[in-house]
Amino acid sequence: MSATSRIADRVAEVPAIEREDVSLLLVLPGLFLFAAFMFFPMLYLLGISFTNARPSNLFAGGGFLTFGEATFVGLENYVAVLTDGTFWNSLGTTWLFVATSLVLKIGLGLGVALVVTNERVRGARFMRSLLIVPMGLPAIFTITIWRGIFTSAQFGLANQLLSWLGAGTVAWLNERWPAFIAYNITEMWLAYPFMVIITVSALQDVPKELHEAAMVDGAGYFSRFFHVTLPSVKRPVLFASILTAAASFQQFLIPYAFNRGGPARLNELVIVYGYREAFQFSEYGQGAAIMLVAVVFIGAFMWLNVKKGRLADGVDEA
Amino acid sequence: MSLLSRVASKIADDARNVLNTPRELALEARYTVQAYRRGDVSATQLGRTAAVTGFAILVVAVLLFPIYWIAMSAISGSGGTVYAAGGFSFFPDNPSIQPFVWVLGDLIVPALAVTVNVPFTDLALVFNTPEIAFLDASDHGVDNPSNFKQYFVNSVIVSVPTLILAMCVIVPAAYALSRREFIMRRKVLFGYVLFTQVGGGLGIAALIALYAMFVQVGLNNNRLALAAYYAATAVPFNTWLLKTYMDGIPVSYEEAALVDGAPPWRVVVEVILPLSAAGLATVTIFTFLTGWMEFVVAQTMLSADKFTLPVGLFALVDEYSIPWARFSAFALTFASPVMLVYLFAQRYIEGGLSFSGMEG
Repeated sequence: MSATSRIADRVAEVPAIEREDVSLLLVLPGLFLFAAFMFFPMLYLLGISFTNARPSNLFAGGGFLTFGEATFVGLENYVAVLTDGTFWNSLGTTWLFVATSLVLKIGLGLGVALVVTNERVRGARFMRSLLIVPMGLPAIFTITIWRGIFTSAQFGLANQLLSWLGAGTVAWLNERWPAFIAYNITEMWLAYPFMVIITVSALQDVPKELHEAAMVDGAGYFSRFFHVTLPSVKRPVLFASILTAAASFQQFLIPYAFNRGGPARLNELVIVYGYREAFQFSEYGQGAAIMLVAVVFIGAFMWLNVKKGRLADGVDEA
Repeated sequence: MSLLSRVASKIADDARNVLNTPRELALEARYTVQAYRRGDVSATQLGRTAAVTGFAILVVAVLLFPIYWIAMSAISGSGGTVYAAGGFSFFPDNPSIQPFVWVLGDLIVPALAVTVNVPFTDLALVFNTPEIAFLDASDHGVDNPSNFKQYFVNSVIVSVPTLILAMCVIVPAAYALSRREFIMRRKVLFGYVLFTQVGGGLGIAALIALYAMFVQVGLNNNRLALAAYYAATAVPFNTWLLKTYMDGIPVSYEEAALVDGAPPWRVVVEVILPLSAAGLATVTIFTFLTGWMEFVVAQTMLSADKFTLPVGLFALVDEYSIPWARFSAFALTFASPVMLVYLFAQRYIEGGLSFSGMEG
């Protein structure tokens, strides 16, 4: 577990490279760059969320990091957001999306990983490297392909498949739940390589002896799966699940590229909701409030997971 | 140069492996059949292996089908064949490279006249370079090619500075985090690991403020400012990734160099960096791709003449009049180099992502 700290300890023992806090200087440029483009805008965003900022008043008068001619409105934006049904619908849809897509991602990832680590499969290594190619593709590329697949027109691949199965065609992106299903399938496809990588490397660490011992005891495939395989891969898969749940919560590109979170704003996952509020409807203050509420939610979610899932022990050492 | 030749030999290795795999599988199949004939392997065992392998191949085929589909759409010429009224077909009836020609447009180096005045005389030497036409779009019946080349140039203008700036801050930080002990070390590391996963969404969340800041200083629509932003977003993940590579280098190598009297900076330049070449290559690819593939921020910040490739791609799909074949060709031309690089870098990426330190 503590390979890193041991290396650091050993280096500390070498006289020429002394333990020196000067080394912090090597890290600071990166930290500063990251903070300048991440934390600093966050603070400014907090400021904007207390004003009635719009492009017309925010950019009036010039100046850097001022609020232009926007006026301070206190908590008005937050009140407006938190009493707005559309916002709660968006947040609800987002959490539903996190739940459904997570189940799908874990299911597919675990299933595929089991298939390509099965010892009877010939050429498994080759298949594995092909399988995780989608991870190396630009997200906008993948998502626009899937938008083509789910196009409402008859020639869309999804509709072709449906009609081949004898079902009618579906106007995928023009109805709420079909669109939601389309999001889920796409997210599943985007995320499965990550799950496969992590699960495969965890599966390969499961000692062969455990399986053999279980076999000697007469355990069948499924009882071996539940009693040997699953407990051994639980923690890496849990870790991956939390990370990919966070990714689902912040999903922007799929709803945005598919139908702008439509139809009629019904499927706007929360980041899309905030983005459109700000850039489509020019309500910067409102958008900032939405984004910050979303950040609070994801922050609380991550914090809870890191604490409850004891992930910090693992990550801290990683 | 040695680094390049090493990369080349690795790629050759991988290519050979890929080419050999079918042959090896065939050989293995033949041995198995022989073993079966001799009676060493029972028919049920053979059948089970074949069934499971067949199932695995089916899984791979289904999962990768969208990529196959887009490739077939791209060569389907007019774009009507893959999804013709008659239903789906696995190969277009009239394959054509015309959509790709539309994407690339003319590839012509224009004729140049270079004049050199010979000093102190009235003489002037005039060189006329011939026009070199690699590809003339109109020969293929394409009159109005896409803006691919313009977007490509924009992407390069964004990605290269991203890479340079990011590497300048990532490499020292990764070294310090891997080899030195200092205050806040664990906190920085922990924060970086967390931000690897939540960074993307936070970036969009902060986009309103970021956009406002860029507009206020007149840097919106500036490709270099965008590059600085991308470099910043690339910091956490790549620093952490490079650090895990450097952790794999035995400390004894450094100790040996130190005993020989090398100053610390020489240890870094001559021991640590060469030995973490694989990690450096991976991080180089990742930071470059950060700028190459990002869409949301680029779309918000840039105006049409400065669109990068992802934004240009999405602009195509938003126009309903664009034929599917042309869109597919554009998308593939944009994505296939990335896909190839990824295929070759895969084992390093897997190594870095496997969270090998995590156990139950």
